[in-house]
Amino acid sequence: MTDPTPAAPPPVEPERPFVVEARAVVKRFGSLEVLKGIDLSVQRGQTMVIVGPSGSGKSTFLRCINRLETLNGGYISVEGEIMGYRRQGDRLYELTDAELARQRTRTGMVFQQFNLFGHLTALQNITEAPVRVLGLDREEARARARALLATVGLEHKADSYPAQLSGGQQQRVAIARALAMQPSVMLFDEPTSALDPELVGEVLGAMRSLAQSGMTMIVVTHEMSFARDVGNTLVVMDDGRIIEQGTPAEVLDHPTTERAREFFSRVH
Amino acid sequence: MVVVPVRHYGRAVAGAAVLLVLLGLVLSVARNENLDFAVVAENMFEPVVLGGVGLTLLLTFISMAVGILIGVIAAIARLSPNPVLRSVSAGYVWFFRGTPVLVQLIFWFNIGIIFPRLGIGIPFTDVTFWSVPINDVITPLNAAILGLGLNSGAYIAEIIRAGILSVSKGQVDAAYALGMSRRLTMRRIVLPQSVPIVIPPLSNEFIGMLKYSALASVIAVQELLGSVENIYSRNLRVLELLIVASIWYLIITTFFTFAQRLLERRFSRGRAMVGAAGGVRA
Ligand SMILES: Nc1ncnc2c1ncn2[C@@H]1O[C@H](COP(=O)(O)OP(=O)(O)OP(=O)(O)O)[C@@H](O)[C@H]1O
Ligand SMILES: [Mg+2]
Repeated sequence: MTDPTPAAPPPVEPERPFVVEARAVVKRFGSLEVLKGIDLSVQRGQTMVIVGPSGSGKSTFLRCINRLETLNGGYISVEGEIMGYRRQGDRLYELTDAELARQRTRTGMVFQQFNLFGHLTALQNITEAPVRVLGLDREEARARARALLATVGLEHKADSYPAQLSGGQQQRVAIARALAMQPSVMLFDEPTSALDPELVGEVLGAMRSLAQSGMTMIVVTHEMSFARDVGNTLVVMDDGRIIEQGTPAEVLDHPTTERAREFFSRVH
Repeated sequence: MVVVPVRHYGRAVAGAAVLLVLLGLVLSVARNENLDFAVVAENMFEPVVLGGVGLTLLLTFISMAVGILIGVIAAIARLSPNPVLRSVSAGYVWFFRGTPVLVQLIFWFNIGIIFPRLGIGIPFTDVTFWSVPINDVITPLNAAILGLGLNSGAYIAEIIRAGILSVSKGQVDAAYALGMSRRLTMRRIVLPQSVPIVIPPLSNEFIGMLKYSALASVIAVQELLGSVENIYSRNLRVLELLIVASIWYLIITTFFTFAQRLLERRFSRGRAMVGAAGGVRA
């Protein structure tokens, strides 16, 4: 391959401060309206933490951002491009599967259940998409994958299969796997909820250093201390709507709605 | 203290009765004046019989390969978002599972009656660029491969479909989230992980195919059964030669049952990944 880094996002005009913008996002599953008009903007380099009761639509919203779910109303753009569509003149053309796949390389996602590929080693999990999707040279992909494994403290586990790793180790490999695509934004859906308590810290630590390195992140979590320490913005969702939004200190210490107060009293 | 275990008198009596019946059967066959085991021994390694064994293996392997190819395509079509592909695949499975394989074999063997020539041309016109008599292409062996392959493809499609569905949704989500297309996800993530699931039923299908291939003898294929028929139609030693064929079938199926165990063990170890430094490679 002559061009080893076609994944790098196109040059972004400096005047566009928002990496992700959601406008009036509506999502229904059958007759159930799960998202009832979500408006959000995530600034470059910022960490937005989303909290809210179970079933309030947090996971669904994250899955709408990388279009694992299609919308029933509104739109979401990443790096100024509307997800799922190509703008030409004043028309929007729906993307083909291959085009959508390419668009998804801008967003990295980390799942509650890790979802590492069970038939591949940690290293192969990380190199698979860069090699197959971006056409990266195999050796270079391996070198990068090893470097990424080192940043999450797992360089010695490169040849282990997922089943041979602890939950915390699997989740750190999953973070490295998403980072290998050099996304513009990282989406975390309750990355520590499936972990034993003593393993939560290592994953939060990796996420904290990622935030400090300037990555744009949207994190759904129940870890309020992470929200307070690492988050730049805290969003509270309830029943498909955003009911609070502000700096973590503001929102946690002075919630304006009764629902949010109630929710915080339960999770603290 | 002496411990007296429960005595299973009923079991002992039933066991003895069954053994007696078996012994009687074996003796009546072995001491039967009308069966000549010398003929069995003579014909075990007859060149015609050995050729039949070879053809049975060839027919089974090629038909199985055709079946797997068709089965994978039909399974993927069945799961595709395209309603036309889905229906065609479902219709294929419905038809080929719903009609006897013997009927299908005879049908392909006689295809020349309705389509005398096979060619390339422009559909719905009389323009033909190239054509051959169909009986040059659909030889008895090819008719058998077509019939057995298409038939087993319908069963294999269901096996592969179940294998694909057994791979968790999370694996697919993760692949899509990384920017892998549907096709790439199927090829690199889903199909490899369904391999350990489909190996046991595919092995059964293979052993079944070894025996179904005997049906090809009715359309003049000289596989194992056809070759012994050939001999007994001349010397009239029908049962002796059927015993020869049966012994060969048992040898072959025993061998492949053993191979199946090895294959399953290898893949089940891969799934558990116990100490698998380089364990699975799919
Ligand atoms: N694929 C689906 N089909 C039908 N309903 C769905 C689907 N996915 C989610 N839902 C419903 O949408 C609602 C929101 O679900 P979602 O998973 O987004 O909530 P959440 O805020 O992430 O909750 P949790 O904290 O439990 O993860 C729930 O009522 C859920 O049952
Ligand atoms: Mg959720």
